[in-house]
Amino acid sequence: MLSLDLNLVWTIINLVVLYLLLRHFLFKPVMGIMEKRRQIIEDGLKNAQDAQNDALKMKQEYEDALKGAKQESAQIIEQARSAAKNEYDRIVGEAGDKAGSIIENAKETVRVEREQTMKELQGEIAGLAVASAAKIVGRTADEDLYDQFLKEVGGTHDDTDEN
Amino acid sequence: MEELNCETVFTLPVLGGISESVVVTWIIMAVLVLLSIILVRNLKVENPGKVQLALEAGIGWAQDFFEGIIGKENRRYIPYLITVLLYLAFSNSLAPLFGFKPPTKDLNVTAGLAIMSMCLIEYSGIYKNGLKHWVKHFARPVPVVAPIMVLEIVIRPLSLCMRLFGNMLAGFVVMELLKTVVPLIIPIPVSFYFDIFDGLLQAYVFVFLTGLFMNEEME
Repeated sequence: MLSLDLNLVWTIINLVVLYLLLRHFLFKPVMGIMEKRRQIIEDGLKNAQDAQNDALKMKQEYEDALKGAKQESAQIIEQARSAAKNEYDRIVGEAGDKAGSIIENAKETVRVEREQTMKELQGEIAGLAVASAAKIVGRTADEDLYDQFLKEVGGTHDDTDEN
Repeated sequence: MEELNCETVFTLPVLGGISESVVVTWIIMAVLVLLSIILVRNLKVENPGKVQLALEAGIGWAQDFFEGIIGKENRRYIPYLITVLLYLAFSNSLAPLFGFKPPTKDLNVTAGLAIMSMCLIEYSGIYKNGLKHWVKHFARPVPVVAPIMVLEIVIRPLSLCMRLFGNMLAGFVVMELLKTVVPLIIPIPVSFYFDIFDGLLQAYVFVFLTGLFMNEEME
């Protein structure tokens, strides 16, 4: 019962053969499959992580771009506003100037016209004065007489000077 | 008493007698290889079937178990340890259930297993740390213990061999006696204990201790 013999050697050979057979038929395929699946899962996780990182980066970029655009738009509006204000000021100023000059012109025209009118009035007043003087002198305001008188005055004026 | 003896099944001309345990081992080997071939067919990476899932769960459990003992970097020894675990589980538990004498009740078989374990233990130590370190480690922690450490090379496999042999032989003897005294009903629960529980426990202990010794040697 307690004896060692050649069967020990057979057992060892059996064991080695069994190991080689199982390694070929059981462990290699099963562990290969498990390893492959692990690899696939790892790749999937890694890809997901990469995709997430990319998405976050993109989001950051978009946010930055959006912020920049907001600032830019605010700046543009500000610029437009100041340009418009300048233009407005300029236009209003010009309009004021033009109005001033128009008023000035009008004033000038009025003055010139008044002067002209004054002159005309003076002439008329002189005529009236002459007529009234003739009336006073001749009682009869005869046109011919007046003309004669004027002629005489004019004509005799030289004569008298000569005389 | 004749059940206790390992009978010689047949005798080869030059090589001598082939004992019962070796023949049963052959049968177990054939069953294991056939089972692997049948179960491993049509393995798929995606959408594995139920059989494949069970197979992967089993192998995965054993892999994790041994990785826990000898570490992830020594994965190369795991297939051998799982082979021994499967062989012992089949020979301790299934062989008696199918009416064979368990091969592990033959001292030759357990001695063969233990010698293999011894070789593996020492080889793993030498492979991992080099021959120099392996020779030096006998004199640690103090040179006085060197004889004991050298003895340990033999004691470890001897304890493995004798533990397995003693347990299986004792279980077998108890079962045979019980079967002669009460052949009906009563042996069933006892068989559950001695054949299935004790058999699987001894298989577990054998590979567990082998892994533990290897880990010790590789430190």
